[in-house]
Amino acid sequence: MVPEDVQTFSSTSLTLGAEPRATPLDDLESVVALYQSRVFRFLLAQLRDRDAAETLTQETFLRAWSARATFREDCSVSTWLIRIALNLARDHTRTGRFRFWKRISANAVDVADVAASVPDREGSAEAHLIAQEQVQRIWETVDGLSDRQRTVFLLRFLEEMEIPEIAHVTGLPLGTVKSHLYRALNVIRTRHNPQSQEGL
Amino acid sequence: MTPKLALLPDTAARRPIGDGHLTEEQFGELIAASAKTTAADTSPAEAHLRSCEQCTAELASLRECLTLFREASTAYADSELRRIPQVTLPARRPMLFPVIAPAYWLAAAAIFLAALLPMQTLLRHKVQPAQAVAASAPSASVGSESDEALLDDVTREESASVPAPMQALADPATSASSTSTGIETSTQTSDQRKD
Repeated sequence: MVPEDVQTFSSTSLTLGAEPRATPLDDLESVVALYQSRVFRFLLAQLRDRDAAETLTQETFLRAWSARATFREDCSVSTWLIRIALNLARDHTRTGRFRFWKRISANAVDVADVAASVPDREGSAEAHLIAQEQVQRIWETVDGLSDRQRTVFLLRFLEEMEIPEIAHVTGLPLGTVKSHLYRALNVIRTRHNPQSQEGL
Repeated sequence: MTPKLALLPDTAARRPIGDGHLTEEQFGELIAASAKTTAADTSPAEAHLRSCEQCTAELASLRECLTLFREASTAYADSELRRIPQVTLPARRPMLFPVIAPAYWLAAAAIFLAALLPMQTLLRHKVQPAQAVAASAPSASVGSESDEALLDDVTREESASVPAPMQALADPATSASSTSTGIETSTQTSDQRKD
C-alpha cells in the first residue's frame, strides 16, 4: 500500500516537446500501489534477500516508468513489470558480489519466518505445525532448483501466471517452460513425499 | 485444512509413479493445469484419477501444499514490505487561494520595502551629523585662520608703534611727508640735530 502523500510524477511535467502517447504507466502512483507487493514478493522469493528485493523493486518501477513509451500493451502491465524484475534479478545474480553477500548476508530470508507466516486456519495445532513444516520444505527445495526451474516454478505457483505468459516473460519456448516446470514439480513432489519415488 | 498427504497410509504413498499411475509429465500437467487448460490436455490423466485414489490424494495434497506455499510467501512478503520504510516525496500542499498567488509576492515585496525604508532613513540620520561636522569643519578652520591673521596684525601694529630704544621719535607733523623720499628725511634729521 502506498501512502497517500506519495507525489505523483505526471508525464506532462517531465517531458518536453511533443506530447508522448499516453500509457497505463503514466500514473506511477497507481501502478506502484497495484503491483509493488507482487513485484517485491517475486523478487524476494527469487533472490531470498530483503535488501536486494527492495532495491530491485524500486529499480523495476523506475525502469518501467523510464521506458513506458516502449510499452506496446501486447501484455498486461503486471507481466511487463515481472519481466523487467526478472531481467534485473538475472543481472543481479550474475555478479560474484551477489553470491558473496548471499553467503554472509544478514538480510537473507529465514525460511522459518516464512513458514511461520502460514495462515492459521481453523484446525488443530498439529495440522498447523504440519503445514508449516511442508511450506518450509518447499521453500528449501525451491532454493535448490536450477535458476530456470525456480523462475518458472515461482511464476506459475507464486504469481499464478499461465504457461504462455511465463513463456512471454522468460523468452523461452512453451515446451521448454513446461519441461522446466514439470521437472521442478517432480523435485518438489519427491521431497514432499520421498516414498513416492522409492520404486523408480 | 490439514494437508492430506500427512494422513496417507505408507503403502499408498510408496507406490511409484508411472507404474500404472500418472507419469511425471501427467502429474505436472495436472498440477500446473488451470481453468484455461482444455479437457483434452488432461483427459487420460483425469480418467486415471477417477479410478486411482492414491494419485488423487497425492495430487490434492501437493496442490494444498502449493497453495499454502503461495499464501505463506505472500503473507511474509507483505509483512516484510510493511517493515521497509517507504521513501516518499512530500506532497505539495494545495494553496488556499491559487488565483492570488502573485499577491503573496507583492505583499512580500511591500513588507520588504517597508522594512527597508525606515532603515534607510535611519542611515540618513546617522550620516547627516557627520556630514554637518565635515561641512562645518572647513568654515571653522577658515574662521580660525582669519582670527589668527587679525591677531597677528594687531600684534604687528602694536610692536611697530613701540620704537627701538635709541631710535629718534618721529615728528608727528612730518611723519606724514617723511615717507615721500629718503633724502628729505635724512636732511630733516640732520637739521634737527643742529637745533
